[in-house]
Amino acid sequence: MASSANSNPVPKLYRSVIEDVINEVRELFLDEGVDEQVLMELKTLWENKLMQSKAVEGFHTEEQAALQAAAHQQAQQAQQATQQAQAQQVLLPPQQQVTSWQSTRPTVTSAPQQQVIVQDPKILQHMSATGMSAAATAATLALPTGVSPYHQLITSQGQILQFVRAANGAQYIIQPQQQMVLQQQVLPQMQPGGVQAPVIQQVLAPLQGGHPQQTGVIIQPQQIVLTGNKVQQNAQVMQMPGQPGQVQQIQQQVQQVQQAQGGAAPGPPQQQAKQQPPMMLQVDGAGDTSSEDEDEEEEEYDEDEDEDKDKDGGEDGQVEEEPLNSEDDVSDEEDQELFDTENVVVCQYDKIHRSKNKWKFHLKDGIMNLNGRDYVFSKAIGDAEW
Amino acid sequence: MAYQLYRNTTLGNSLQESLDELIQTQQITPQLALQVLLQFDKAINTALANRVRNRVNFKGSLNTYRFCDNVWTFVLNDVEFREVTDLVKVDKVKIVACDGKSRLFFFSLSLRPFSLHLQTDSVRTRSHTSLSKYKTKSMTISHTVV
Repeated sequence: MASSANSNPVPKLYRSVIEDVINEVRELFLDEGVDEQVLMELKTLWENKLMQSKAVEGFHTEEQAALQAAAHQQAQQAQQATQQAQAQQVLLPPQQQVTSWQSTRPTVTSAPQQQVIVQDPKILQHMSATGMSAAATAATLALPTGVSPYHQLITSQGQILQFVRAANGAQYIIQPQQQMVLQQQVLPQMQPGGVQAPVIQQVLAPLQGGHPQQTGVIIQPQQIVLTGNKVQQNAQVMQMPGQPGQVQQIQQQVQQVQQAQGGAAPGPPQQQAKQQPPMMLQVDGAGDTSSEDEDEEEEEYDEDEDEDKDKDGGEDGQVEEEPLNSEDDVSDEEDQELFDTENVVVCQYDKIHRSKNKWKFHLKDGIMNLNGRDYVFSKAIGDAEW
Repeated sequence: MAYQLYRNTTLGNSLQESLDELIQTQQITPQLALQVLLQFDKAINTALANRVRNRVNFKGSLNTYRFCDNVWTFVLNDVEFREVTDLVKVDKVKIVACDGKSRLFFFSLSLRPFSLHLQTDSVRTRSHTSLSKYKTKSMTISHTVV
């Protein structure tokens, strides 16, 4: 079962509810003449969505474990095929559904290891060494807690990449989109007619020489864009500076990443970056007055904001203030945006009491969703002042 | 009928979405989906009542309160939820609470029809005026609860 140290009652509870419901409705399904297969599909869909939501920890099925085992083997094979020695892979898939390339059926990704919070490159290395890469194809890692400002990159496909800079300087790109095919390195596979999804893989590859600077971020975006019958595929591997002489094909995302870093990348990587339609680095949320197709957003970081904003015209005086203000609370906003959860508690009340402006709540049998996570309680007592 | 309160939770929403997908592909009928949801209501209510045994405390400031149709809705700010094991802080939380003592709740249990028979014996007296006689009365109350 889950490898969590605490006994979290939520997964067990949910699991038991699912089982109960499925068993109870089996009869209903049969009465209606609906196949058992559909019932199983319902169960699978239900469980998958729960896992996607990441509201529950350590919620996985045996099927999931089997998939991980399978993925583990493949990961090992792939790993050998790629870099030698200490190539370590850390895949940070989005916190959403991940589709295995083996089948077109969406499978869920969370692994028991998912609860490991990456705070440290050492941990990353450790996890990789222990086969984390395997689980990584199906794993959902929590965001490193040492993460400082996050930037969102909007790719040309309209997906939002979250570029995260961890405290140690390593950078991850997290793609929170669904239907992402996560692949190991150097597997330029095409999905025949099946679910097509862009793949982005972040690989943290500390240098073989054991350089302290962990800037090796290998990004392998594999974009399979299905337009009519045409399938484009770009499999590119980019490696950050520090390992000279490696593959240098960089996609725009990476280039943006580099620019966001302050132009740490060497010349060659930047050449190819301009080919593709520009990406947006959107930091301050919705309501921008500047057009979305420009690189202007990004240039904010280069302190050219005033010029750009003036270009957009004085639609409002607010326009000029936006970039100024937006820098102030970047992390706060994005935290909220990221979670985007209205924290809700759904429960029953035993007694609600008020004295002047002092309220006391006696609640029971509740399900809470706080900061994106689910909790339950049989009793809750609260105090608040109005 | 059990409270449908819990449909808007992670568990409930994922179920509804899954059912919607099946309806879209016409693998099930909307009617069947509704039945599934009703079953879910029963199951989650029972599970919460019986399988969960933990306490939570919370403290914050009350922003708004509403009591309508026997449902309390609160919005609190800067709240700390405290369990034995950990502490969760949120800036804003909405609490929706249905009546925990409502008879509606008990309808989720299956009740057999029951009947009550009340019988009172008459008392016959002769008043001085001997005007009236009391007859034996018997009352039968039969109460059926579904």
